[in-house]
Amino acid sequence: MEQKKDYFEGEYMPQMNRIGKITGLLGVILCFCPAVALALVYGLLPQPAALLTAFIAGAASFGALWFVEPISYYPVLGTVGTYMAFLSGNISNMRVPCASMAQAAAEVEPGSEKASVIATLGMAVSIVINISVLTIGVILGSSVLSMLPATVTNALNYLLPSLFGALLVQFAMKKVKLGVVVLAFGILIYLAINGGLFNWLPGASNYLPTLGCIFFSIAVAMLTVDKKKEGEKA
Amino acid sequence: MSVSELQNSAVMWVACGIPVVLVLVQAIVFARKAYQAGPKLGLTQKQMKAGMRSSAITSLGPSVVILSGMLSLLVTMGGPVAWMRLSLIGSVMFESLAAGFGTASVGVELGSSGMTELAYTMGLWTMILCSIGWVIFATLTADQMEKVQKKVTGSNPAMLTALSSAAVIGAFSSFCAQNIVKVNKNTIAVILGGLIMFVMMKICEAKQIKWLRDWALTFAILGSMIITALLPV
Repeated sequence: MEQKKDYFEGEYMPQMNRIGKITGLLGVILCFCPAVALALVYGLLPQPAALLTAFIAGAASFGALWFVEPISYYPVLGTVGTYMAFLSGNISNMRVPCASMAQAAAEVEPGSEKASVIATLGMAVSIVINISVLTIGVILGSSVLSMLPATVTNALNYLLPSLFGALLVQFAMKKVKLGVVVLAFGILIYLAINGGLFNWLPGASNYLPTLGCIFFSIAVAMLTVDKKKEGEKA
Repeated sequence: MSVSELQNSAVMWVACGIPVVLVLVQAIVFARKAYQAGPKLGLTQKQMKAGMRSSAITSLGPSVVILSGMLSLLVTMGGPVAWMRLSLIGSVMFESLAAGFGTASVGVELGSSGMTELAYTMGLWTMILCSIGWVIFATLTADQMEKVQKKVTGSNPAMLTALSSAAVIGAFSSFCAQNIVKVNKNTIAVILGGLIMFVMMKICEAKQIKWLRDWALTFAILGSMIITALLPV
């Protein structure tokens, strides 16, 4: 057991951290490729003053998410998962469901070293599939959408709500009380936001519910967990 | 060259392809390391394959939803940019918003027929500048957050498991609550998805049908989605 720990913490994680930081920061630089291409090949440059206005508008609407989301999702994604999910995007609708389903299928304890490895594998698969589907889609272009009958595009609107409902049941079934309490808490936050209680917090509806639910759920679980009985309910 | 030709030019495809390839490279490098590490940490090949298969099945539905989101962006910002922005960092919700702020800053409404070269340039720059915040912060703080988490749980495996399972429940509760409070067909979809999943899991438990466990989620999503869409309201 001691040796395993040395390997994970002393060898595996430092390697993964290094890869994560290099690829993440490289990603930030490479993002500018199309903008640089516009400038170098076509001589098209943005107007700095107008760009600043646009950036401020964007930052005001969802800038808080840049900081809140990595913190909110960290306990769900883990360290390697955080590197992967934030570079590839589509976190709530894709990475979180895939990582948790992979862990459930492999029957590993969430939060364990094994779970971290499985989440990494699961997320990598989902990234490859996501990009493949988008690539095929973009090659076929908008003709795909016009080919689909209206009933199908209409039904697609209900795919994510159905997915979330099913996933909540899957993961809360072992912890029914926690699931019910946290879901009720989430509904209350949304009702409060819709009722205007958080109007003083700009963009609150974007980040407050998820941040609130995750940390509320963690707090309840930590206060009620039996520290001596290891994984009693799993 | 028209704006649409510019947006879909070979140059833009190559320039947008570079960061997309990086995302794939990162995923593959991480996956290889994890696959090698698995057995050393006590994972069996079977477990790792089960995890990957389950993730592949789970990926399909959301991928199609993201694709349909990309198609609306494709009309306004062109193929390459839409493809790149949803393959990396992006999320359907914020991309159109950011592009809209960019084009509006030079007086062009996104989705109108008046797209100009300048508006396209502004839209693209705004999308890039507004998205890198996520990666910068997440990349720089991931290992720091690990230290915080270790302190909170005292590196106790039972506490770590409790924390992670609770976090997953918290995340899905929030996503569900968001749809439930809409009190429309989305509400029904959440409830039906949960209900069908519950029944499937009970069947799996009682009859020990292995293959059904892999597909339970897909059946729940498809069933709930189709029933919700067919409901008259």
